[in-house]
Amino acid sequence: MSVNRVLVANRGEIAVRVIRACQSLGIETVAAVSDADRESMAARMANRAVCIGPARSADSYLKVENVIAAAQGTGCDALHPGYGFLAERAALAQACQDHQITFVGPSAENIAMMGDKLEARKIAGNAGVPLVPGSDQARNPHEAARLAKDIGFPLLLKASAGGGGRGIKLVWNAHEIEDTFRMAAAEARAAFGNDTLYMERYVGNARHIEVQILGDQHGNVIHLGERDCSLQRRHQKIVEEAPAYALTPEIRGQICHAAATLARSIGYRSAGTIEFIYDNDTEDYYFLEMNTRIQVEHPVTEMITGVDLVAQQLLIARGEPLPFRQSEIKFTGHAIECRITAESPQHGFRPCPGLISNWQGPTGPGIRLDTHCYSGYFVPPYYDSLLAKLIVHANSRIESADQTNRALENFHVSGIDTLIPFLKVVIADDDYRAGKVNTRWLEKKLEDYAAAQPG
Amino acid sequence: MELSEDDVLHILKLIDESKFDYFQLEVGELKITVSKGDPIPLAGTPQPGGSATAPAAAPKPAPAAVASGAPAPKATTLPAGHVAITAPLLGTFYVAPEPGAPPFVMVGQQVTEDTTCALIEVMKVFSSVRAGVNGTIVEVVAANGGFVEFGQTLFIVKP
Repeated sequence: MSVNRVLVANRGEIAVRVIRACQSLGIETVAAVSDADRESMAARMANRAVCIGPARSADSYLKVENVIAAAQGTGCDALHPGYGFLAERAALAQACQDHQITFVGPSAENIAMMGDKLEARKIAGNAGVPLVPGSDQARNPHEAARLAKDIGFPLLLKASAGGGGRGIKLVWNAHEIEDTFRMAAAEARAAFGNDTLYMERYVGNARHIEVQILGDQHGNVIHLGERDCSLQRRHQKIVEEAPAYALTPEIRGQICHAAATLARSIGYRSAGTIEFIYDNDTEDYYFLEMNTRIQVEHPVTEMITGVDLVAQQLLIARGEPLPFRQSEIKFTGHAIECRITAESPQHGFRPCPGLISNWQGPTGPGIRLDTHCYSGYFVPPYYDSLLAKLIVHANSRIESADQTNRALENFHVSGIDTLIPFLKVVIADDDYRAGKVNTRWLEKKLEDYAAAQPG
Repeated sequence: MELSEDDVLHILKLIDESKFDYFQLEVGELKITVSKGDPIPLAGTPQPGGSATAPAAAPKPAPAAVASGAPAPKATTLPAGHVAITAPLLGTFYVAPEPGAPPFVMVGQQVTEDTTCALIEVMKVFSSVRAGVNGTIVEVVAANGGFVEFGQTLFIVKP
């Protein structure tokens, strides 16, 4: 299980993040880049960069054989998949295993197990984790209509092969279910090659609460607390924070314990996140899904615990036992992360690739900026729009929100539109500051914001 | 200020003994460019690797004693009027259809656009490399059995 030279099989800010963690451990890096990313920050930071294909992800970052060949061709003994792309493709983990390349992540079995969202529900249920009231597979529109009676409306039709907010359809009432079922099945077939659908009750006044897990190869599994990621647009997170301030200590303890129990029950290793739906009205919490990778929002957990999660992934992959027990994990202060994307909130979140003529990120104590951008960087149109993560850590949530506001005020980007103007409005909002939010709040805020835009 | 030949040799010696791996100096009309290890290509040349184009003052760490790291591909300056055949995908480069067989093409050989010049293998799957140009092979740049990146120069052709 050696990890001396890592192939970084990803791009953008997470590639930079992984390289940084490798540098901190004296591990060499090779950046796998597409043609469009030859001059990226990751390419410059790594010991070496290797071009794995043309710009299009499907021909470069998404080809298992490309990243494996790149690792072999550059003498890498390990591979870090980042998030997205192939991070949760069991075939990559398996190919690494077959080629004696240490995969910095969980086993192929765990990835496959938790990648099937319906299967994951069953495993969670077996581990004693509460589940969203829902169904097993609904095989056709009639069955869906019948099962829906026990769940109640509104409900969510979900693709088993989906996850990460994809393949979800909201069904308001019994009239819609059969048509929506057919549409959902067709879309799932097209997007995931698998049209297995199941259903879950829709919780109207919900928070998205998730728990960070670390497991080593010696059976030790701990949690590093939870995050509140309720501010979402179309199931994509925009603002995340830690800890989840709305939970009572009892509920927090239960959720974190349930997450660790589940991870332990499947022999999970490396970093992972278990997501829950929390009902603001009833204080019930339900298992949603498990993500078998490092997540975008991992920094907020790092800021309140002082643990470098990516470095831990590398050490775990090397076979080292976790250097801390559960009782040694301490939580200090509050952290908020804003995802800065190249999207124009004034224009319906239209993507804005292009040349960043000026990039001036905020600095100061408690401010962390995870990014691959710089003045003069050309944001390519081929990939997702995440430019940076602005993370602010302070003693309390309100201080963290205040400092985030100031940081956003001092964040200047010219040449492309970014989400910054909208984020300022969100973080300064009274409801946000009071914590009076749920998973529908941000979209409502966005409607108000768009309506207030001139023209 | 003018540099004598001795000055230039002295500068080269200093660079050689230093940890820097790229150095560029312009004095009047004299321009010295020195690179060690991964050659930095001239501006405008297709770059096979992602090496930084900005002069790097920070020394790169020496490679750890890890078995078999493939060296970075050599950058190639194309002579005027010549065309490069580049790798359409990354993988292992083979000049012949199988071990022991004669190579697909040799220096001096005429090729047409559809001539198969090489194979590239990625995880046991072989793809053939078309010349894509009519002309004469003047150089076989990539090493047989070596790892090539997407876009790396494999052959140079005089059309």
